[in-house]
Amino acid sequence: MAQLILDGVVKHFGKIEALRGIDFEVQDGEFFVILGPSAAGKTTTLRAIAGLEKLDSGRIVFDGVDMAGIPVQQRGIAMVFQSFALYPHLTTEQNLAYPLREQKMARRDIKLRVQEIAEMLGITHTLTRKPASLSGGEQQRLAIGRAIIRQPELLLLDEPLTNLDAKLRHDMRAEFKRLHRELGMTMIYATPDQLEALSMGERVGVIIDGKIVQIDTPADLYDAPYDRDVARLVGDPPMNLIPGTVRRNGGGPSLELPFLHVPEADLRNSLAPFEAGTELIFGVHPQDLKLATNGETEASFDAEIAITEPQGDITILDLKAASEVLQMVVPEAEGALHGAGEEIRVRFNPRDGRLFLKDSGVLVV
Amino acid sequence: MSKRYQHQQGLIAQFISENRGPLLVTPALAVLVLMNIFPLLWSFGLSFFKYRANRLNEPEFVWFKNYIKILNDPNVWDRFQTTALVVSIDVLLQLIVGFLLALLFQSQFPGRRVLLMLVLTPMMLSFVAVGAFFRYYYEPTFGLLSQAVKAITGERYILLATPEGALAGVIFADVWMWSPFVMLLVLAGLVSVPKHLYEAAEIDRTSAWRRFWTITFPYIRGLLLLAILFRTIEAFKLFDLAWIITEGGPGTSTETIAIYVYRVAFQYFKTSESAALGYILLFAVIVLTNLYLFFVRKRAAEEDA
Repeated sequence: MAQLILDGVVKHFGKIEALRGIDFEVQDGEFFVILGPSAAGKTTTLRAIAGLEKLDSGRIVFDGVDMAGIPVQQRGIAMVFQSFALYPHLTTEQNLAYPLREQKMARRDIKLRVQEIAEMLGITHTLTRKPASLSGGEQQRLAIGRAIIRQPELLLLDEPLTNLDAKLRHDMRAEFKRLHRELGMTMIYATPDQLEALSMGERVGVIIDGKIVQIDTPADLYDAPYDRDVARLVGDPPMNLIPGTVRRNGGGPSLELPFLHVPEADLRNSLAPFEAGTELIFGVHPQDLKLATNGETEASFDAEIAITEPQGDITILDLKAASEVLQMVVPEAEGALHGAGEEIRVRFNPRDGRLFLKDSGVLVV
Repeated sequence: MSKRYQHQQGLIAQFISENRGPLLVTPALAVLVLMNIFPLLWSFGLSFFKYRANRLNEPEFVWFKNYIKILNDPNVWDRFQTTALVVSIDVLLQLIVGFLLALLFQSQFPGRRVLLMLVLTPMMLSFVAVGAFFRYYYEPTFGLLSQAVKAITGERYILLATPEGALAGVIFADVWMWSPFVMLLVLAGLVSVPKHLYEAAEIDRTSAWRRFWTITFPYIRGLLLLAILFRTIEAFKLFDLAWIITEGGPGTSTETIAIYVYRVAFQYFKTSESAALGYILLFAVIVLTNLYLFFVRKRAAEEDA
């Protein structure tokens, strides 16, 4: 069992408020991702859970036991550091065996276990070498191996892929999922990368400015971001956020965007709660914008292509529509037909869009 | 005429600008050659002659006679033994004290900066001042040590009267003076250990003892070897402190090889013999240095493997 509860955790560094009341629960065996921009408090949160930071207030409860005053060594937690923190003067084998040495384990058993973990992570050939002579991926695997070798109840991972190249990141994402399935241990994974969060997390907690703003499944996070800040963080490229104004003249309320007029009936939300002139933000994923062909019934507007960014299978188009800059994603075959400076017609289903309040930035539900 | 003068001017300026580096180094090199290298070579030549600086006799070339004489001199071997004893105890104590001081100053505590400066002061004093200070400290009638012992036992204590006491006195002074140097080097090593390694070790539930040997020590090993090397060479040449505190006494119990060289050169005036002994000493230090470097390199090679 490893159930973790954070309750109003606050941490200051001098005058800087790193954590401003963090609350979340992680269930036994869950893969929980903390997603947030840099300096949002991800690392501090993990360090607080590990016991490396003293809390200013709030509680961390692990399997019903308050962790206050319980030293790092007794928390049964392992951690993979962003910098890996491998012991530079020890070989791979010694690094792996390190956490076992203090457990009064027989030398033979340690050797077997080290062998087992090394095989599982594919670093058997590096056992007699020192970390400095390993590649980035091997160092990464070693760091993970050292963390999981003593079968901790809870594994904390602090941006473990940030220092790796793109190809390795991709491989390691799958690797983490496999490890999680095989080991069944509870994992908390901090990352600034929305792709890692969405592809690996069972649930994702978004942390911004030292506060958790949303905890949801990846699908819900993508679909219904809690506010503008989350919307900017999730999705690649992130949601287009377009300012709009509510209008009520004659034939029912509508939302006026700089380049398009959308009647209420087409929208997902009712505009009834809003007075005429209320300013809202209309968010739509770049993937929901399509190139229009003739005779379309959906909402459509004219835009000028500013930049095309071919990415192999897809092409990202940077558009200028009225005063707004938008992004849309089209299949490569379609993207290849168009170039910068060209006028195109873009269609979308307004029902795919989301509305946010302008002042607070919060999603309208 | 004036054109030619200008041409010459131009040549000089060109010469200066093209050779700025060598020209800037020349004065320092000149002083070095005059004050160090020339005397060094001169005395090396002298060590093959029979020559006394206080006689008017012409120097006489005697091949290796001086060296043979010195290597067969039981006094020389006795002084070497004294020196070896002083060096081993002295350096060991400096390492221990320096190490403990470094561990103390590694942590932050109120007054650390002030205390650190006080601890570093001995190193910056001149040998003569430290020597004089300790001579008075050990002085039988009004010296602090004697007074303190008297307050307990009722009798005065003459530390420098026995060979062991005199050795202890000289060594204590040198340890007091040079432990801060070891501390500085060790402290540099301690500070260079990345903090996240300690955190990782904490998470890996390592005991303080293992943490020290597997994480901390590898970072200070190189600097520690350097400290041993420097301090051994210095202790090998120990002259000032011993000369001022005991003048090599009682008897010859604290007469280090450096003091013996001095006596041979300026009290017995066997100039060429002392030059030969000086060269034997230099040779010993060079051998010692290379031995250390050999071990350091071997270590480094093992590290890389």
